[in-house]
Amino acid sequence: MGNADLRDLAVIDTVAYDDLAGSVVAVDAHNWLYRYLTTTVKFTRDSAYTTADGEEVANLIGVVQGLPKFLEHDVTPVFVFDGGVTDLKEDEVQKRREQRERYEEQLEQAREEGDSVEVAKLESRTQRLTDTIVDTTRELLALLDVPVVDAPAEGEAQAARMARSGTVDYAGTEDYDALLFGSPMTLRQLTSKGDPECMDLDATLDEHDLTWEQLVDVGILCGTDFNEGVTGIGPKTAVKTVREHGDIWGVFEARDVYVENVDRIRSLFLDPPVTDDVAFDAGIEPDVDAAKAFVVEEWGVAADEVERGFERIAEATVQTGLDRWT
Amino acid sequence: MFNAIVSADTLRATLDSVSVLVDECKIHLTDEGIEIRAVDPANVGMVDLRLDAAAFESYETDGGIIGVNLSRLEEFAGMADAGQLIQLELDEETRKLHVQIDGLEGTLALIDPDSIRQEPDLPDLDLPATVVLEGKDIDRAVTAADMVSDHIALGVETDDEVFYVDAEGDTDDVHFELGRDDLIDLVAGDAHSLFSLDYLKDMNKAIPKDAEIEMELGEEFPVKMHFDIAEGDGTVTYMLAPRIQSD
Repeated sequence: MGNADLRDLAVIDTVAYDDLAGSVVAVDAHNWLYRYLTTTVKFTRDSAYTTADGEEVANLIGVVQGLPKFLEHDVTPVFVFDGGVTDLKEDEVQKRREQRERYEEQLEQAREEGDSVEVAKLESRTQRLTDTIVDTTRELLALLDVPVVDAPAEGEAQAARMARSGTVDYAGTEDYDALLFGSPMTLRQLTSKGDPECMDLDATLDEHDLTWEQLVDVGILCGTDFNEGVTGIGPKTAVKTVREHGDIWGVFEARDVYVENVDRIRSLFLDPPVTDDVAFDAGIEPDVDAAKAFVVEEWGVAADEVERGFERIAEATVQTGLDRWT
Repeated sequence: MFNAIVSADTLRATLDSVSVLVDECKIHLTDEGIEIRAVDPANVGMVDLRLDAAAFESYETDGGIIGVNLSRLEEFAGMADAGQLIQLELDEETRKLHVQIDGLEGTLALIDPDSIRQEPDLPDLDLPATVVLEGKDIDRAVTAADMVSDHIALGVETDDEVFYVDAEGDTDDVHFELGRDDLIDLVAGDAHSLFSLDYLKDMNKAIPKDAEIEMELGEEFPVKMHFDIAEGDGTVTYMLAPRIQSD
């Protein structure tokens, strides 16, 4: 989930949702869904997230509850899905897997003890993006006519690239790493109540008098999804020492420290596998009835869980734009 | 160079008709007068405005574009009494607008026109029905619809030669119609489109109650509303995109 140390360095301002009207956001789909699976979908009933067969459907509820906010503010989301997993991220994936296993054990125990609140809490944490989740999410987005882009590798890197190339106005992710991926403007807290915040790369670089490459070096020293940070170097020290010694190799030499695979980690941020060959139609004309049938009839989600969300989606997309006639 | 004197009423009518849709706009200064075209961020409502040089007491420019924060300029214009004259002069060096109302002087910082949302292309509309009516009838229709709903249908019955307004809420509804005799003019053609009242209410605020409004309509098409300001020395055209109608 990136390194929260970057928050101490990033220039971040709250931006009113209303001011985003008309903009297009490349949303890191896995990051966005993960939020819904872990925190945002509140559990009124534990049965709401799985079908009788045990298939997870919390993602479908998350999509129906999360989309209206974009559409009501005339913000077009483009969901960017991960391609293959980057090798170096294996560690992080492994760590998450281990943590999930721990949660699962605790969950088992809570079930035995009949602690329903604890069960609900833990259930949300053990949610993972299974193939079913990815497939059903994509099918629902297709029915709702919401654009989707496939990343060659990491969705976040691709979203950042699309913001950088001007294909979209913002990248959307909770992950502070978006800065390291070079996203000029990144929206966070798109799933939260209230207004999102915007992380500004140029302002961040200006404030610390760093180049993008140097910021990546600072990130690596503090620790990223791909590496452990260097012990004893926090964000402030990292900025100072990178400025002083020019780049991470200068820092290594001066402080006699080292980070494994630093070349590869650097290039994962500065030159990740991304594509500029993306095409999508930003006009969203959902088939709400078909989407509702998919969620409620095909996947057995209780109708009242998604009723209001679908109403809001329908309401938010009935307005046409004048550009249709130009 | 831009140096003009204009009555407070004319300036306010001009600014109001744009500010109901956008906060900032570009003003094109030409030999013939000023031109403004703007669309709201959601691309739903558009205004296309022209104020001829003849609408000014005096008007001089060598052309150019200025970017204006409308509510700030409206505040300045609001300092004048009705009928009082306002002098506007562009300071090329500071890129500020010098505003003078009798003894009251001020300067208003302009906005970099490049930072303002790009001006929209005019939609290409061939609308079959035209209704000419008084601004107060639009006000009446909008007010009535607003009692019961958040959207409003505008249409023309070709056979009966009737212009009608329908609004349906969850529990209540209103219907309002004007026949050929109630209208200033009517070119009948099949038309029925649904619109957001939020937008129409905003546009209605800027439509003079005593003005003649030429309204063009189609089947699930944008509506065009056209009227004069500054005693005919200026024109405003609003365009509003329809909502999709559920059957």
